[in-house]
Amino acid sequence: MTSTLRKNSIVASGGLLLVILPILVSWSGHDYYISLFSRILIYGLAAVSLDLLLGFSGMISLGHAAYVGIGAYVVAIFFHHASEMEPLFTWPFVLEGSENGLLVLPLAVLISALFALVIGSLCLRTRGMHFIMITLAFAQMLYYFFVSLEKYGGDDGLSLYSRSSIPGMDLGNDIHFYYLCLGSLLVFIFVARRLVYSRFGLIVRGCSNNERRIRALGINSYSYRLALFVIAGAGAGLAGGLLANQTEYVSPGLMHWTLSGELMVMVLLGGLGTLFGPVLGAAVFLLVEENLAMYTEHWMVYMGPFLVLVVIFAKRGLFGLVAGGENGNE
Amino acid sequence: MNDKIMEVKGLNKAFGAVTATNDLSFGIDRGHVHALIGPNGAGKTTLVNQLTGDIFPDSGKIIYNSQDITRLKDYRRAHLGIARSFQITHIFENLTVGENMALSICAHSGHNFHFWRHSLRSGIVKEKLEGALGRVDLAHRRHLKASHLSHGEKRQLEVGMALTGDPELLILDEPMAGMGPGGTIELSKLIEKLKGTLTILLVEHDMDVVFSLADMVTVLVYGEAILTAPVDQVRKNRRVQQAYLGDGW
Repeated sequence: MTSTLRKNSIVASGGLLLVILPILVSWSGHDYYISLFSRILIYGLAAVSLDLLLGFSGMISLGHAAYVGIGAYVVAIFFHHASEMEPLFTWPFVLEGSENGLLVLPLAVLISALFALVIGSLCLRTRGMHFIMITLAFAQMLYYFFVSLEKYGGDDGLSLYSRSSIPGMDLGNDIHFYYLCLGSLLVFIFVARRLVYSRFGLIVRGCSNNERRIRALGINSYSYRLALFVIAGAGAGLAGGLLANQTEYVSPGLMHWTLSGELMVMVLLGGLGTLFGPVLGAAVFLLVEENLAMYTEHWMVYMGPFLVLVVIFAKRGLFGLVAGGENGNE
Repeated sequence: MNDKIMEVKGLNKAFGAVTATNDLSFGIDRGHVHALIGPNGAGKTTLVNQLTGDIFPDSGKIIYNSQDITRLKDYRRAHLGIARSFQITHIFENLTVGENMALSICAHSGHNFHFWRHSLRSGIVKEKLEGALGRVDLAHRRHLKASHLSHGEKRQLEVGMALTGDPELLILDEPMAGMGPGGTIELSKLIEKLKGTLTILLVEHDMDVVFSLADMVTVLVYGEAILTAPVDQVRKNRRVQQAYLGDGW
Protein backbone atom coordinates (compact mmCIF):
# COMPACT_ATOMS: atom_id res chain seq x y z
CA MET A 1 0.00 0.00 0.00
CA THR A 2 1.51 3.35 -1.02
CA SER A 3 0.02 5.27 1.86
CA THR A 4 1.75 2.91 4.27
CA LEU A 5 5.00 3.40 2.37
CA ARG A 6 4.67 7.15 2.54
CA LYS A 7 3.94 7.03 6.24
CA ASN A 8 6.84 4.72 6.97
CA SER A 9 9.33 6.81 5.01
CA ILE A 10 8.20 9.97 6.77
CA VAL A 11 8.49 8.34 10.18
CA ALA A 12 11.91 6.92 9.27
CA SER A 13 13.25 10.26 8.04
CA GLY A 14 11.83 11.99 11.12
CA GLY A 15 13.60 9.44 13.31
CA LEU A 16 16.84 9.82 11.38
CA LEU A 17 16.64 13.58 11.71
CA LEU A 18 16.31 13.25 15.49
CA VAL A 19 19.29 10.87 15.62
CA ILE A 20 21.65 13.20 13.73
CA LEU A 21 20.23 16.37 15.23
CA PRO A 22 23.07 16.88 17.74
CA ILE A 23 25.57 16.84 14.88
CA LEU A 24 23.58 19.40 12.90
CA VAL A 25 23.23 21.61 15.94
CA SER A 26 26.92 21.56 16.85
CA TRP A 27 27.78 22.47 13.26
CA SER A 28 25.44 25.41 13.36
CA GLY A 29 26.82 26.44 16.73
CA HIS A 30 23.45 26.90 18.42
CA ASP A 31 24.18 24.43 21.22
CA TYR A 32 21.21 25.74 23.12
CA TYR A 33 18.92 23.86 20.76
CA ILE A 34 20.09 20.52 22.13
CA SER A 35 18.40 21.15 25.43
CA LEU A 36 15.30 22.54 23.72
CA PHE A 37 15.03 19.37 21.70
CA SER A 38 15.56 17.22 24.78
CA ARG A 39 12.58 19.01 26.21
CA ILE A 40 10.61 18.33 23.02
CA LEU A 41 11.42 14.62 23.26
CA ILE A 42 10.36 14.49 26.90
CA TYR A 43 7.07 16.30 26.29
CA GLY A 44 6.65 14.12 23.23
CA LEU A 45 6.98 11.04 25.43
CA ALA A 46 4.34 12.35 27.83
CA ALA A 47 2.07 13.23 24.89
CA VAL A 48 2.46 9.78 23.32
CA SER A 49 1.45 8.19 26.62
CA LEU A 50 -1.59 10.46 26.73
CA ASP A 51 -2.38 9.49 23.12
CA LEU A 52 -2.78 5.89 24.30
CA LEU A 53 -5.70 7.11 26.40
CA LEU A 54 -7.18 9.79 24.13
CA GLY A 55 -6.58 8.27 20.74
CA PHE A 56 -6.98 4.56 21.29
CA SER A 57 -9.30 4.01 24.21
CA GLY A 58 -11.40 7.16 24.24
CA MET A 59 -10.53 7.94 27.85
CA ILE A 60 -10.33 11.73 28.05
CA SER A 61 -7.98 12.26 30.96
CA LEU A 62 -7.48 15.86 31.99
CA GLY A 63 -5.12 14.89 34.78
CA HIS A 64 -2.26 13.31 32.93
CA ALA A 65 0.25 15.84 34.25
CA ALA A 66 -0.18 14.25 37.68
CA TYR A 67 1.92 11.27 36.60
CA VAL A 68 4.54 13.49 35.01
CA GLY A 69 4.73 15.33 38.32
CA ILE A 70 4.93 12.14 40.39
CA GLY A 71 7.77 10.84 38.21
CA ALA A 72 9.63 14.13 38.52
CA TYR A 73 9.19 14.27 42.29
CA VAL A 74 10.40 10.68 42.71
CA VAL A 75 13.70 11.61 41.07
CA ALA A 76 13.92 14.90 42.96
CA ILE A 77 13.08 13.46 46.37
CA PHE A 78 15.60 10.64 46.05
CA PHE A 79 18.19 13.17 44.93
CA HIS A 80 17.36 15.53 47.78
CA HIS A 81 17.82 12.78 50.38
CA ALA A 82 21.02 11.58 48.79
CA SER A 83 22.56 15.04 48.93
CA GLU A 84 21.33 15.64 52.50
CA MET A 85 22.65 12.17 53.45
CA GLU A 86 19.38 11.52 55.21
CA PRO A 87 17.24 8.42 54.54
CA LEU A 88 13.72 8.89 53.13
CA PHE A 89 12.37 6.84 55.99
CA THR A 90 13.73 4.44 58.58
CA TRP A 91 10.72 2.30 59.29
CA PRO A 92 9.87 -0.53 58.43
CA PHE A 93 13.21 -0.51 56.65
CA VAL A 94 15.82 2.13 55.95
CA LEU A 95 15.44 3.71 52.52
CA GLU A 96 18.40 5.84 51.48
CA GLY A 97 18.26 8.54 48.84
CA SER A 98 19.93 7.92 45.50
CA GLU A 99 21.08 9.71 42.41
CA ASN A 100 21.61 6.57 40.38
CA GLY A 101 19.56 6.96 37.24
CA LEU A 102 19.25 3.21 36.80
CA LEU A 103 17.42 3.12 40.13
CA VAL A 104 15.46 6.37 40.27
CA LEU A 105 14.14 6.41 36.70
CA PRO A 106 12.60 2.90 36.95
CA LEU A 107 11.27 3.94 40.37
CA ALA A 108 9.70 7.03 38.80
CA VAL A 109 7.97 4.76 36.29
CA LEU A 110 6.87 2.28 38.93
CA ILE A 111 5.52 4.79 41.42
CA SER A 112 3.66 6.76 38.73
CA ALA A 113 2.15 3.48 37.59
CA LEU A 114 1.05 2.75 41.14
CA PHE A 115 -0.60 6.15 41.43
CA ALA A 116 -2.29 5.53 38.07
CA LEU A 117 -3.51 2.17 39.35
CA VAL A 118 -5.13 3.64 42.45
CA ILE A 119 -6.51 6.76 40.75
CA GLY A 120 -7.55 4.86 37.64
CA SER A 121 -9.39 2.18 39.59
CA LEU A 122 -11.65 4.92 40.93
CA CYS A 123 -11.90 7.13 37.83
CA LEU A 124 -12.77 4.27 35.48
CA ARG A 125 -15.99 3.66 37.36
CA THR A 126 -17.26 6.84 35.73
CA ARG A 127 -17.88 7.78 32.11
CA GLY A 128 -17.73 10.77 29.83
CA MET A 129 -17.81 14.16 31.47
CA HIS A 130 -17.54 12.64 34.94
CA PHE A 131 -14.36 10.85 33.95
CA ILE A 132 -12.82 14.08 32.67
CA MET A 133 -13.69 15.91 35.86
CA ILE A 134 -12.57 13.19 38.26
CA THR A 135 -9.17 12.77 36.58
CA LEU A 136 -8.79 16.54 36.79
CA ALA A 137 -9.81 16.50 40.46
CA PHE A 138 -7.22 13.88 41.39
CA ALA A 139 -4.45 15.76 39.59
CA GLN A 140 -5.38 19.01 41.32
CA MET A 141 -5.49 17.19 44.66
CA LEU A 142 -1.91 16.04 44.11
CA TYR A 143 -0.96 19.53 43.01
CA TYR A 144 -2.23 21.08 46.23
CA PHE A 145 -0.71 18.26 48.25
CA PHE A 146 2.75 19.07 46.90
CA VAL A 147 2.14 22.82 47.27
CA SER A 148 1.62 22.24 50.97
CA LEU A 149 4.47 19.76 51.35
CA GLU A 150 6.97 22.09 53.03
CA LYS A 151 9.56 19.35 53.49
CA TYR A 152 10.11 19.27 49.76
CA GLY A 153 9.98 22.96 49.05
CA GLY A 154 6.19 23.38 48.90
CA ASP A 155 5.23 26.03 46.41
CA ASP A 156 8.87 26.84 45.60
CA GLY A 157 9.70 23.35 44.45
CA LEU A 158 12.96 21.53 44.81
CA SER A 159 16.27 22.09 43.06
CA LEU A 160 18.66 19.33 42.04
CA TYR A 161 22.34 20.17 42.07
CA SER A 162 23.09 17.87 39.18
CA ARG A 163 21.51 15.26 36.97
CA SER A 164 21.23 11.57 37.85
CA SER A 165 24.20 9.37 37.09
CA ILE A 166 24.11 6.41 34.76
CA PRO A 167 27.20 4.22 34.38
CA GLY A 168 28.84 4.80 31.00
CA MET A 169 26.94 8.02 30.38
CA ASP A 170 27.48 11.59 31.48
CA LEU A 171 23.99 13.02 31.77
CA GLY A 172 25.47 16.41 32.63
CA ASN A 173 26.54 16.45 29.00
CA ASP A 174 23.56 17.71 27.02
CA ILE A 175 24.27 15.43 24.07
CA HIS A 176 24.38 12.31 26.26
CA PHE A 177 21.20 13.41 27.93
CA TYR A 178 19.58 14.07 24.56
CA TYR A 179 20.26 10.51 23.48
CA LEU A 180 18.86 9.15 26.74
CA CYS A 181 15.63 11.04 26.04
CA LEU A 182 15.56 9.92 22.41
CA GLY A 183 16.16 6.29 23.40
CA SER A 184 13.39 6.41 26.02
CA LEU A 185 10.98 7.92 23.53
CA LEU A 186 11.73 5.43 20.75
CA VAL A 187 11.44 2.47 23.11
CA PHE A 188 8.16 3.76 24.46
CA ILE A 189 6.70 4.33 20.99
CA PHE A 190 7.83 0.87 19.92
CA VAL A 191 6.21 -0.73 22.98
CA ALA A 192 3.07 1.37 22.52
CA ARG A 193 2.74 0.27 18.89
CA ARG A 194 3.07 -3.39 19.77
CA LEU A 195 0.52 -2.84 22.50
CA VAL A 196 -2.03 -1.11 20.29
CA TYR A 197 -2.03 -3.88 17.67
CA SER A 198 -1.89 -6.78 20.13
CA ARG A 199 -4.93 -8.68 21.37
CA PHE A 200 -4.93 -6.42 24.40
CA GLY A 201 -4.93 -3.39 22.11
CA LEU A 202 -7.74 -4.81 20.04
CA ILE A 203 -9.97 -5.02 23.11
CA VAL A 204 -9.04 -1.54 24.25
CA ARG A 205 -9.67 -0.02 20.82
CA GLY A 206 -12.97 -1.86 20.76
CA CYS A 207 -13.92 -0.30 24.11
CA SER A 208 -13.35 3.18 22.74
CA ASN A 209 -15.84 2.56 19.98
CA ASN A 210 -18.45 0.45 21.68
CA GLU A 211 -17.87 -0.64 25.23
CA ARG A 212 -21.32 -2.16 25.60
CA ARG A 213 -20.60 -4.52 22.71
CA ILE A 214 -17.30 -5.54 24.32
CA ARG A 215 -19.20 -6.53 27.43
CA ALA A 216 -21.80 -8.42 25.40
CA LEU A 217 -18.88 -10.42 23.98
CA GLY A 218 -18.09 -11.55 27.49
CA ILE A 219 -15.17 -9.25 28.23
CA ASN A 220 -14.85 -7.36 31.48
CA SER A 221 -13.75 -4.11 29.88
CA TYR A 222 -12.82 -2.47 33.18
CA SER A 223 -9.58 -4.38 33.75
CA TYR A 224 -8.33 -3.76 30.21
CA ARG A 225 -9.00 -0.06 30.38
CA LEU A 226 -7.38 0.08 33.80
CA ALA A 227 -4.27 -1.72 32.51
CA LEU A 228 -3.96 0.81 29.72
CA PHE A 229 -4.45 3.68 32.15
CA VAL A 230 -1.58 2.31 34.25
CA ILE A 231 0.71 1.91 31.20
CA ALA A 232 -0.04 5.48 30.14
CA GLY A 233 0.69 6.67 33.68
CA ALA A 234 3.99 4.79 33.62
CA GLY A 235 5.02 6.48 30.37
CA ALA A 236 4.17 9.88 31.83
CA GLY A 237 6.19 8.97 34.93
CA LEU A 238 9.25 8.25 32.79
CA ALA A 239 8.77 11.61 31.08
CA GLY A 240 8.55 13.23 34.51
CA GLY A 241 11.74 11.56 35.70
CA LEU A 242 13.56 12.82 32.62
CA LEU A 243 12.07 16.28 32.93
CA ALA A 244 13.33 16.62 36.52
CA ASN A 245 16.81 15.81 35.18
CA GLN A 246 16.51 18.13 32.24
CA THR A 247 15.55 21.22 34.21
CA GLU A 248 17.27 20.10 37.44
CA TYR A 249 14.26 21.50 39.20
CA VAL A 250 10.77 20.27 40.10
CA SER A 251 7.73 22.17 41.32
CA PRO A 252 4.06 21.41 41.91
CA GLY A 253 3.40 23.27 38.65
CA LEU A 254 4.26 20.04 36.86
CA MET A 255 0.98 18.59 38.12
CA HIS A 256 -1.14 21.61 37.39
CA TRP A 257 -4.01 21.12 35.00
CA THR A 258 -2.52 23.62 32.58
CA LEU A 259 0.24 21.12 31.81
CA SER A 260 -2.38 18.38 31.33
CA GLY A 261 -4.09 20.75 28.92
CA GLU A 262 -0.87 21.48 27.05
CA LEU A 263 -0.21 17.75 26.64
CA MET A 264 -3.71 17.39 25.25
CA VAL A 265 -3.07 20.23 22.80
CA MET A 266 0.12 18.49 21.66
CA VAL A 267 -1.78 15.27 21.02
CA LEU A 268 -4.55 17.03 19.09
CA LEU A 269 -2.12 19.17 17.14
CA GLY A 270 0.07 16.24 16.16
CA GLY A 271 -2.71 13.78 15.48
CA LEU A 272 -4.97 11.79 17.74
CA GLY A 273 -4.36 8.05 17.66
CA THR A 274 -1.19 8.18 15.58
CA LEU A 275 1.49 7.63 18.28
CA PHE A 276 4.10 9.50 16.17
CA GLY A 277 1.93 12.57 15.79
CA PRO A 278 2.11 13.67 19.44
CA VAL A 279 5.90 14.00 19.12
CA LEU A 280 5.38 16.27 16.14
CA GLY A 281 2.74 18.11 18.14
CA ALA A 282 5.13 18.60 21.04
CA ALA A 283 7.82 19.88 18.67
CA VAL A 284 5.52 22.39 16.99
CA PHE A 285 4.01 23.51 20.28
CA LEU A 286 7.32 24.07 22.03
CA LEU A 287 9.04 25.65 19.01
CA VAL A 288 6.14 28.04 18.51
CA GLU A 289 6.17 28.87 22.20
CA GLU A 290 9.94 29.38 22.12
CA ASN A 291 9.84 31.77 19.20
CA LEU A 292 6.66 33.69 19.92
CA ALA A 293 7.40 34.05 23.62
CA MET A 294 10.31 36.31 22.66
CA TYR A 295 7.87 38.86 21.27
CA THR A 296 4.86 38.51 23.52
CA GLU A 297 3.89 36.65 26.64
CA HIS A 298 0.42 36.26 25.13
CA TRP A 299 1.73 33.89 22.46
CA MET A 300 -1.25 31.62 23.05
CA VAL A 301 -3.32 34.22 21.20
CA TYR A 302 -1.66 32.94 18.03
CA MET A 303 -1.43 29.30 19.06
CA GLY A 304 -5.16 29.08 19.77
CA PRO A 305 -6.50 29.87 16.27
CA PHE A 306 -3.77 27.66 14.76
CA LEU A 307 -4.96 24.73 16.88
CA VAL A 308 -8.57 25.37 15.91
CA LEU A 309 -7.65 25.32 12.22
CA VAL A 310 -5.67 22.10 12.57
CA VAL A 311 -8.45 20.36 14.51
CA ILE A 312 -11.11 21.43 12.00
CA PHE A 313 -9.24 20.81 8.76
CA ALA A 314 -6.81 18.00 9.54
CA LYS A 315 -8.64 15.05 10.97
CA ARG A 316 -5.48 13.27 12.06
CA GLY A 317 -3.58 16.41 12.96
CA LEU A 318 -0.30 17.60 11.49
CA PHE A 319 0.93 14.03 11.25
CA GLY A 320 -2.09 13.18 9.12
CA LEU A 321 -1.27 16.15 6.88
CA VAL A 322 2.31 15.11 6.22
CA ALA A 323 1.95 11.34 6.33
CA GLY A 324 -1.45 11.00 4.69
CA GLY A 325 -4.81 10.11 6.16
CA GLU A 326 -5.61 6.93 7.95
CA ASN A 327 -5.01 3.70 6.14
CA GLY A 328 -7.10 0.57 6.48
CA ASN A 329 -5.07 -1.48 8.88
CA GLU A 330 -1.73 -0.96 10.55
CA MET B 1 -31.09 -32.64 30.62
CA ASN B 2 -33.89 -30.12 30.80
CA ASP B 3 -35.45 -29.51 27.40
CA LYS B 4 -35.94 -25.83 28.25
CA ILE B 5 -32.76 -23.88 27.66
CA MET B 6 -34.17 -20.76 29.24
CA GLU B 7 -37.10 -20.10 31.52
CA VAL B 8 -38.44 -16.77 32.64
CA LYS B 9 -40.64 -16.71 35.73
CA GLY B 10 -42.77 -13.77 36.88
CA LEU B 11 -40.45 -11.08 35.56
CA ASN B 12 -41.23 -7.45 36.44
CA LYS B 13 -39.48 -4.28 35.40
CA ALA B 14 -40.70 -0.72 35.69
CA PHE B 15 -39.10 2.56 34.66
CA GLY B 16 -40.70 5.05 37.00
CA ALA B 17 -44.44 4.83 36.40
CA VAL B 18 -44.05 2.87 33.17
CA THR B 19 -44.32 -0.88 33.53
CA ALA B 20 -42.16 -2.33 30.77
CA THR B 21 -42.31 -5.96 31.88
CA ASN B 22 -45.37 -7.19 33.73
CA ASP B 23 -45.35 -10.58 35.50
CA LEU B 24 -43.87 -12.17 32.42
CA SER B 25 -43.29 -15.92 32.14
CA PHE B 26 -42.30 -18.13 29.23
CA GLY B 27 -39.80 -20.83 28.29
CA ILE B 28 -37.55 -21.46 25.31
CA ASP B 29 -37.17 -25.04 24.06
CA ARG B 30 -33.67 -26.22 23.28
CA GLY B 31 -32.86 -26.28 19.57
CA HIS B 32 -35.88 -24.21 18.52
CA VAL B 33 -36.14 -20.91 16.78
CA HIS B 34 -38.33 -19.08 19.25
CA ALA B 35 -39.81 -15.82 18.05
CA LEU B 36 -40.76 -12.93 20.28
CA ILE B 37 -43.32 -10.65 18.68
CA GLY B 38 -45.40 -7.75 19.81
CA PRO B 39 -46.40 -4.26 18.75
CA ASN B 40 -44.11 -1.27 19.23
CA GLY B 41 -43.62 -0.46 22.89
CA ALA B 42 -44.58 -3.96 24.03
CA GLY B 43 -41.29 -4.16 25.91
CA LYS B 44 -39.43 -6.57 23.63
CA THR B 45 -36.07 -4.90 23.86
CA THR B 46 -36.46 -4.32 27.59
CA LEU B 47 -37.06 -8.04 27.98
CA VAL B 48 -34.04 -8.92 25.86
CA ASN B 49 -31.89 -6.53 27.88
CA GLN B 50 -32.94 -8.39 31.02
CA LEU B 51 -32.20 -11.77 29.46
CA THR B 52 -28.69 -10.68 28.50
CA GLY B 53 -28.01 -8.88 31.77
CA ASP B 54 -27.83 -5.38 30.37
CA ILE B 55 -30.39 -4.39 32.97
CA PHE B 56 -31.71 -6.27 35.98
CA PRO B 57 -35.39 -7.02 36.63
CA ASP B 58 -37.18 -5.61 39.68
CA SER B 59 -38.43 -9.07 40.56
CA GLY B 60 -38.82 -12.52 39.05
CA LYS B 61 -36.38 -15.13 37.90
CA ILE B 62 -34.38 -16.02 34.79
CA ILE B 63 -33.23 -19.65 34.64
CA TYR B 64 -30.67 -20.69 32.05
CA ASN B 65 -29.69 -24.37 31.79
CA SER B 66 -31.22 -24.94 35.26
CA GLN B 67 -29.05 -22.16 36.70
CA ASP B 68 -30.47 -18.99 38.20
CA ILE B 69 -28.81 -16.13 36.28
CA THR B 70 -31.17 -13.33 37.33
CA ARG B 71 -28.38 -11.32 38.97
CA LEU B 72 -25.47 -12.44 36.82
CA LYS B 73 -23.56 -9.66 35.02
CA ASP B 74 -23.76 -9.35 31.24
CA TYR B 75 -20.23 -10.50 30.43
CA ARG B 76 -20.60 -13.54 32.72
CA ARG B 77 -23.75 -14.58 30.87
CA ALA B 78 -21.87 -14.34 27.60
CA HIS B 79 -19.43 -16.88 29.01
CA LEU B 80 -22.31 -19.24 29.75
CA GLY B 81 -23.19 -19.32 26.06
CA ILE B 82 -25.69 -16.51 25.59
CA ALA B 83 -24.80 -14.33 22.62
CA ARG B 84 -26.79 -11.41 21.30
CA SER B 85 -27.02 -9.08 18.40
CA PHE B 86 -28.43 -5.64 18.94
CA GLN B 87 -31.39 -3.87 17.41
CA ILE B 88 -29.06 -1.09 16.31
CA THR B 89 -25.95 -2.66 14.83
CA HIS B 90 -23.20 -2.85 17.39
CA ILE B 91 -19.99 -3.44 15.56
CA PHE B 92 -16.69 -1.66 16.03
CA GLU B 93 -16.75 0.93 13.29
CA ASN B 94 -13.18 2.04 13.96
CA LEU B 95 -11.77 -1.46 13.36
CA THR B 96 -11.52 -3.49 10.17
CA VAL B 97 -13.88 -6.38 9.45
CA GLY B 98 -11.07 -8.82 10.22
CA GLU B 99 -10.30 -7.08 13.50
CA ASN B 100 -13.95 -7.07 14.46
CA MET B 101 -14.13 -10.80 14.00
CA ALA B 102 -10.74 -11.33 15.67
CA LEU B 103 -11.97 -9.36 18.64
CA SER B 104 -14.92 -11.62 19.20
CA ILE B 105 -12.75 -14.70 18.68
CA CYS B 106 -10.36 -13.37 21.33
CA ALA B 107 -13.28 -12.73 23.63
CA HIS B 108 -13.98 -16.44 23.77
CA SER B 109 -10.40 -17.60 24.21
CA GLY B 110 -9.46 -16.91 27.78
CA HIS B 111 -7.94 -13.65 28.93
CA ASN B 112 -6.54 -11.09 26.53
CA PHE B 113 -3.63 -9.68 28.44
CA HIS B 114 -1.38 -10.48 25.50
CA PHE B 115 0.53 -7.29 25.02
CA TRP B 116 3.07 -8.13 22.37
CA ARG B 117 2.14 -10.22 19.37
CA HIS B 118 -0.01 -8.70 16.62
CA SER B 119 -3.61 -9.67 17.28
CA LEU B 120 -4.25 -11.00 13.77
CA ARG B 121 -1.15 -13.19 13.96
CA SER B 122 -1.92 -14.78 17.32
CA GLY B 123 -2.54 -18.53 17.20
CA ILE B 124 -6.19 -18.67 18.11
CA VAL B 125 -7.16 -15.92 15.67
CA LYS B 126 -5.19 -17.43 12.80
CA GLU B 127 -6.92 -20.72 13.43
CA LYS B 128 -10.50 -19.46 13.48
CA LEU B 129 -10.66 -16.20 11.55
CA GLU B 130 -10.97 -17.72 8.09
CA GLY B 131 -13.88 -19.96 9.05
CA ALA B 132 -15.67 -17.26 11.01
CA LEU B 133 -15.52 -14.79 8.11
CA GLY B 134 -16.52 -17.48 5.62
CA ARG B 135 -19.57 -18.50 7.64
CA VAL B 136 -21.14 -15.09 7.04
CA ASP B 137 -19.62 -14.52 3.57
CA LEU B 138 -17.35 -11.66 4.53
CA ALA B 139 -13.90 -13.13 3.81
CA HIS B 140 -13.38 -10.76 0.88
CA ARG B 141 -14.10 -7.74 3.08
CA ARG B 142 -11.60 -8.38 5.85
CA HIS B 143 -9.32 -5.37 5.27
CA LEU B 144 -12.17 -2.92 4.97
CA LYS B 145 -13.03 -0.61 7.84
CA ALA B 146 -16.30 -1.87 9.31
CA SER B 147 -17.80 1.61 8.94
CA HIS B 148 -17.58 1.19 5.15
CA LEU B 149 -19.76 -1.94 5.02
CA SER B 150 -23.30 -1.82 3.68
CA HIS B 151 -26.11 -2.09 6.18
CA GLY B 152 -26.78 -5.72 5.38
CA GLU B 153 -23.10 -6.62 5.61
CA LYS B 154 -22.89 -4.96 9.02
CA ARG B 155 -25.70 -7.26 10.18
CA GLN B 156 -23.93 -10.27 8.73
CA LEU B 157 -20.76 -9.25 10.52
CA GLU B 158 -22.65 -8.80 13.75
CA VAL B 159 -24.29 -12.21 13.56
CA GLY B 160 -20.91 -13.69 12.62
CA MET B 161 -19.35 -12.11 15.68
CA ALA B 162 -22.08 -13.46 17.91
CA LEU B 163 -21.41 -16.95 16.53
CA THR B 164 -17.64 -17.06 17.15
CA GLY B 165 -18.08 -18.24 20.71
CA ASP B 166 -20.24 -21.22 19.67
CA PRO B 167 -23.11 -19.97 21.80
CA GLU B 168 -25.94 -22.25 22.88
CA LEU B 169 -28.48 -19.46 22.79
CA LEU B 170 -28.34 -16.73 20.19
CA ILE B 171 -30.56 -13.71 20.76
CA LEU B 172 -31.24 -11.72 17.60
CA ASP B 173 -32.87 -8.39 18.37
CA GLU B 174 -34.75 -7.25 15.24
CA PRO B 175 -32.07 -8.44 12.82
CA MET B 176 -34.12 -7.40 9.79
CA ALA B 177 -34.69 -3.82 10.97
CA GLY B 178 -33.82 -1.31 8.28
CA MET B 179 -32.83 -3.94 5.71
CA GLY B 180 -33.83 -4.00 2.10
CA PRO B 181 -35.64 -7.10 0.70
CA GLY B 182 -32.35 -8.58 -0.57
CA GLY B 183 -30.71 -8.33 2.82
CA THR B 184 -33.73 -9.87 4.52
CA ILE B 185 -33.53 -12.91 2.28
CA GLU B 186 -29.78 -13.27 2.83
CA LEU B 187 -30.16 -13.10 6.58
CA SER B 188 -33.16 -15.45 6.59
CA LYS B 189 -31.04 -17.99 4.74
CA LEU B 190 -28.31 -17.60 7.31
CA ILE B 191 -30.75 -18.17 10.17
CA GLU B 192 -32.24 -21.14 8.32
CA LYS B 193 -28.73 -22.56 8.02
CA LEU B 194 -28.14 -22.14 11.74
CA LYS B 195 -31.43 -23.73 12.69
CA GLY B 196 -30.92 -26.91 14.67
CA THR B 197 -27.30 -26.17 15.55
CA LEU B 198 -28.25 -23.84 18.35
CA THR B 199 -31.26 -22.23 20.01
CA ILE B 200 -32.30 -18.87 18.62
CA LEU B 201 -34.50 -16.27 20.23
CA LEU B 202 -35.66 -14.09 17.38
CA VAL B 203 -37.17 -10.72 18.20
CA GLU B 204 -38.76 -9.59 14.98
CA HIS B 205 -41.29 -7.23 13.47
CA ASP B 206 -41.49 -8.82 10.05
CA MET B 207 -44.29 -11.41 10.30
CA ASP B 208 -43.28 -13.19 7.09
CA VAL B 209 -39.87 -13.84 8.57
CA VAL B 210 -41.34 -15.02 11.86
CA PHE B 211 -43.81 -17.40 10.26
CA SER B 212 -41.24 -18.87 7.91
CA LEU B 213 -38.48 -19.40 10.49
CA ALA B 214 -39.96 -19.81 13.95
CA ASP B 215 -41.03 -23.02 15.71
CA MET B 216 -42.59 -21.33 18.72
CA VAL B 217 -43.88 -17.81 19.19
CA THR B 218 -44.36 -15.71 22.30
CA VAL B 219 -46.62 -12.71 21.90
CA LEU B 220 -45.89 -9.71 24.06
CA VAL B 221 -48.46 -6.97 24.70
CA TYR B 222 -47.84 -4.18 27.22
CA GLY B 223 -45.04 -6.14 28.83
CA GLU B 224 -47.14 -9.26 29.31
CA ALA B 225 -46.72 -12.57 27.51
CA ILE B 226 -50.30 -13.09 26.35
CA LEU B 227 -49.50 -16.29 24.50
CA THR B 228 -46.72 -18.80 23.94
CA ALA B 229 -47.60 -21.37 21.31
CA PRO B 230 -46.47 -23.18 18.17
CA VAL B 231 -46.38 -20.92 15.15
CA ASP B 232 -49.55 -22.34 13.50
CA GLN B 233 -51.75 -21.61 16.50
CA VAL B 234 -50.45 -18.07 16.78
CA ARG B 235 -51.33 -17.39 13.19
CA LYS B 236 -54.98 -18.14 13.93
CA ASN B 237 -55.20 -16.53 17.35
CA ARG B 238 -57.71 -13.69 17.64
CA ARG B 239 -55.94 -11.82 20.44
CA VAL B 240 -52.80 -11.69 18.40
CA GLN B 241 -54.73 -10.35 15.47
CA GLN B 242 -56.20 -7.69 17.71
CA ALA B 243 -52.85 -6.67 19.05
CA TYR B 244 -51.56 -6.31 15.53
CA LEU B 245 -54.67 -4.79 13.96
CA GLY B 246 -53.52 -1.75 12.08
CA ASP B 247 -50.11 -3.26 11.50
CA GLY B 248 -51.76 -4.63 8.39
CA TRP B 249 -51.02 -8.30 8.20
